[in-house]
Amino acid sequence: MIQERSKNIMLSLGTLFVLGFCLTPFVWMVIISLSKRPDFLIRDISPFTLANYIDILSLENLHFLDYLKNSVVVAGGTAIVSGVIGALAAYAVSRISFPGKIALIFGVLGLSMFPQICIVGYLYKFMSSLGWINTHSGLILPYISWSLPLALWILMSYFSQIPRELDKAAHIDGATRLQILFKVILPIALPGFLSTILLLFMFSFNEFLFALMLTTDFRARTVPVGIALFQGLHGELPWGYIMAASVISSIPVILIALFFQRHIIQGLTHGAVKE
Amino acid sequence: MSRELREAIPFVVPLVLFICLFILLPVVGTFWSSLWRDVSFITREFIGFENYLRLFKDLQFWRATFFTLLFPFVSVSLEMIFGIIIALVLNEQFRLRGIVRGIALLPWAIPSVIGARIWQLMYRYDYGLANYILKTIGIGPVNWLGSPISAFLSLVVADVWRTTPFVAIILLAGLQTVPEDLYKQARVDGTNALQRFFKITLPLIKPIVIVALLFRTIDAIRVFDLIYVITGGGPGGITTSLSLYGYKFFLLGDFGYGSSVSIILFLVAFLLAIGYVKIGRFREAPL
Repeated sequence: MIQERSKNIMLSLGTLFVLGFCLTPFVWMVIISLSKRPDFLIRDISPFTLANYIDILSLENLHFLDYLKNSVVVAGGTAIVSGVIGALAAYAVSRISFPGKIALIFGVLGLSMFPQICIVGYLYKFMSSLGWINTHSGLILPYISWSLPLALWILMSYFSQIPRELDKAAHIDGATRLQILFKVILPIALPGFLSTILLLFMFSFNEFLFALMLTTDFRARTVPVGIALFQGLHGELPWGYIMAASVISSIPVILIALFFQRHIIQGLTHGAVKE
Repeated sequence: MSRELREAIPFVVPLVLFICLFILLPVVGTFWSSLWRDVSFITREFIGFENYLRLFKDLQFWRATFFTLLFPFVSVSLEMIFGIIIALVLNEQFRLRGIVRGIALLPWAIPSVIGARIWQLMYRYDYGLANYILKTIGIGPVNWLGSPISAFLSLVVADVWRTTPFVAIILLAGLQTVPEDLYKQARVDGTNALQRFFKITLPLIKPIVIVALLFRTIDAIRVFDLIYVITGGGPGGITTSLSLYGYKFFLLGDFGYGSSVSIILFLVAFLLAIGYVKIGRFREAPL
């Protein structure tokens, strides 16, 4: 009994420590975003204020709302297109046994391990020659390609759970493969498909290096680049603005992560756990 | 052409097209660029492997390579050890598992740049939270980002914060596939907790451990965002990774040399991935 109880106490302490370590930076981000000065630890207590939030949402020369809009457009466009293209490929991979299938799956998985830096230098020249630097499509197109391995891998695991008898029945009724995908498979895998789209959104929303290289100003710059390049007037970093911007931009991805944690974890671990 | 292939082609063509245009072509293009003297405003000139010879004699390149190997080694080792411990705790702790699992996803879910900005602020010498805590418990302030070793460790801590919970969740999913009966039987046989871990748990979750290890290592080897924000590669270039080193040359307009740095990073990542796959298969065979 005593042993059981001390084990429980140890477990609780361990859990508390993990939670504290995970959450402290978040709490700090919120505190700084609500403080008038970021240096209140060494000066007198700084009054609570919403000024940082009001400023970044209203001062146009900070361009935060532009960055946010660009991020949503780019990540949203990427998630939808990549989800559909991924679904097409995942259907073929999970339903048709064509030659080269295994090579395709592992080839695509291998590509996702390429360091971005070996893509971005050439991509910059490529996009410059097309005149697509600092445009939404100049970001969306590489993002689609960069997120496709994730889309394919997750959707593949969802689709392979759906019984093939359904396909056969639809096929006998005269449905084409495209109809089977959109009228049979996708409706059944809808929760999985939607959480894949959200995961793809999160993935593109968070991307930094491509956006850093391929955008030059507020017309296409995304939130991560905006936050990384925020500069004060006199060299000192405007920490209040940075943290307020961080809080606002974290909210959508935090909501996605909390509401869809089960699906995200399932999608990410499916292949690995099953095999 | 077989009927299956004919049917599959329309479904995979968009994927293949996108990947060829925006991933494969750029990688091949980067390799091609690395064979040229390709600097903005100067006439391009084919120079074969001269950029690579220059790399060989470039001390800062060797430093960046060393950092690029040491950083994943230290941070991924810590992430795996803590990740397994946290996963084991979560596997025992039933009541809080849902909440803890949700919270543990957060550091990984937010943009890495935001996490990096928060750590950068907490590491500040004058009014950072880290030094404030140290001062409260009576240890002098540390210039976290000012000296090579502490800057390195600061980056490791920030990386561990971002990815350990995620590693733990992946491993937890693996732990939950281990049948409870196996432990019961082992308990009856009189084994202790450590024996059960090494004889039952670890062998059964080995495939997922290797997958997590592979993904984390590849990710840590190409580390960029964290360093770009927190140290900018400093102090004195000591925390510059190969990704950041290559990027700095792109920024200067030296595409040839930057490309050759990138290709080396590519080779390092490629060799490591092959190594892991080999180890993974090799160890699976006797099971």
